[in-house]
Amino acid sequence: MTEAVRLAVDGIGKTFERRGKPPVEALRDIRMTIREGEFVSIVGASGSGKSTLLRIIDGLIAPSAGVVRVDGRPVSKPGRDRAMVFQQDSLLPWKTVAENVAYGLTLAKVPKAEAFATAQKFIDIAGLKGFEQHYPHQLSGGMRQRVNVARALAVDPEILLLDEPFAALDAQTREIMQTELLSIWQATGKTVLLITHQIDEAVFLSDRVIVFSARPGTIRREIPVPLPRPRDLELKRSAEFVSLVDTIWKLIEAEVRAGLKEE
Amino acid sequence: MARRLFEFLEQDTRTAAAARVLISTGAVLVVWQIVSMIVTNRLLLVPPAEVAVALAHEVADGAMWTNASATVTAVVTSFVVSVVIGVAIGLALASSRILSLTGGPVLSALNSVPIIALAPLFIAWLGLGFASKFVLVILVAVFPVVVTTEAGLRATDKPLIEAARSFNATPWQIFTTVTFPYALPFIVSGVRVAWARALVGIVVAEFFGSFAGFGYAILSASQTFDTARVLGYVIMLGAMGLLGSVLFAALEQRLAPWRQE
Repeated sequence: MTEAVRLAVDGIGKTFERRGKPPVEALRDIRMTIREGEFVSIVGASGSGKSTLLRIIDGLIAPSAGVVRVDGRPVSKPGRDRAMVFQQDSLLPWKTVAENVAYGLTLAKVPKAEAFATAQKFIDIAGLKGFEQHYPHQLSGGMRQRVNVARALAVDPEILLLDEPFAALDAQTREIMQTELLSIWQATGKTVLLITHQIDEAVFLSDRVIVFSARPGTIRREIPVPLPRPRDLELKRSAEFVSLVDTIWKLIEAEVRAGLKEE
Repeated sequence: MARRLFEFLEQDTRTAAAARVLISTGAVLVVWQIVSMIVTNRLLLVPPAEVAVALAHEVADGAMWTNASATVTAVVTSFVVSVVIGVAIGLALASSRILSLTGGPVLSALNSVPIIALAPLFIAWLGLGFASKFVLVILVAVFPVVVTTEAGLRATDKPLIEAARSFNATPWQIFTTVTFPYALPFIVSGVRVAWARALVGIVVAEFFGSFAGFGYAILSASQTFDTARVLGYVIMLGAMGLLGSVLFAALEQRLAPWRQE
């Protein structure tokens, strides 16, 4: 791994001001780098600010402290070098699959024919061939998340940001989607940052797992995942995999339990 | 047999919709016929057949055409203008918090004032004829459009806006590709209510200040106790209401098919 640093997060902090209530510190002094083509996941209990960090990296939220750099350039707003895959249904319900996948390109004023040709390529990669003219409400949850991933890939970002993309799916569909995401990642060579609360998902997909602590979110530990690639679902039963998942779980268990009591 | 009929009527097809309308109008006609056989005072109620004869007579002597063109022209023009104004005010309210906070209460106060009751005042101000009809219909029809436009624009799913922003969309692009399309079916449902209100507005305006139109015809027929003619014109208004309602409901469904499932 001698590739250049693609994403650098340098001393990011975020405090949310609230009217009539004390401010909430969501993130404190986050520092990390991700190399070109690397797959990194962030796990942490709810309230660890991991979703906020992803939005700061995407440029949707301004940080209170620190700077995010992509290829050395500081980030101040969303740009085509980054694309986000959201957890919730964020597809436009009145647009077809093809129009949704081409959405980012049409916003960037790419000529229509070119936008749809590019969209078609990622529709094929995401296994959506034959569903181009369907509307989101006609698709299953798993299919809709494929559209979501294809839409993000279509703008040809350098970094793909995924915000718990499979959280709303059932366990079986989630596993299939994980292997599909891996093969898409291998085919496109994108740099990926994934937020998840599924520890096994993080270990299965990533080169490194970053474990967050909660309130305020800080980096507790970075855990390399030295498992061989390509990976398949068999891997999840290996002793090495299970012990990695266990290590991470022990790091966040206390906070997950504390979070349960609060709610 | 009855069960299969129910299943057919529940279908989401045009034939089934037409059948539903036919069955309900048929039922009304039957009840009407029965009641008019019990109530034999023809000043109070006339049977459907006599109303049909009166309507045919109106068509034959050209009165129907005069009245229909007066009412339809006035109501359609003022309805279209009220939709345009309503959407514009709704847009302004949804895009400015200050405007919504200061103008909102005034609008809801105006909305609860029985504007119809002010019809004589408007006629005194604007005279007999088109202007007073125009203003009165706009005043009654504009509010549902304002309310649904603002509500629709504010209701947009936050994740949809966030996704658009994530693709670096400009505020204008967010409006044209997310907020407005999302609000459109809401607006159409307001338009549907506005149409019904516009019909009431036009009739009242014609009661007080005109020499043609359905409202005028209803008033003059009732003054001569011509119940058949009164009911005939009421039916014409009902048909216009039904037509608008069916049309806008279809449009709403077409604009937002995902809401049906």
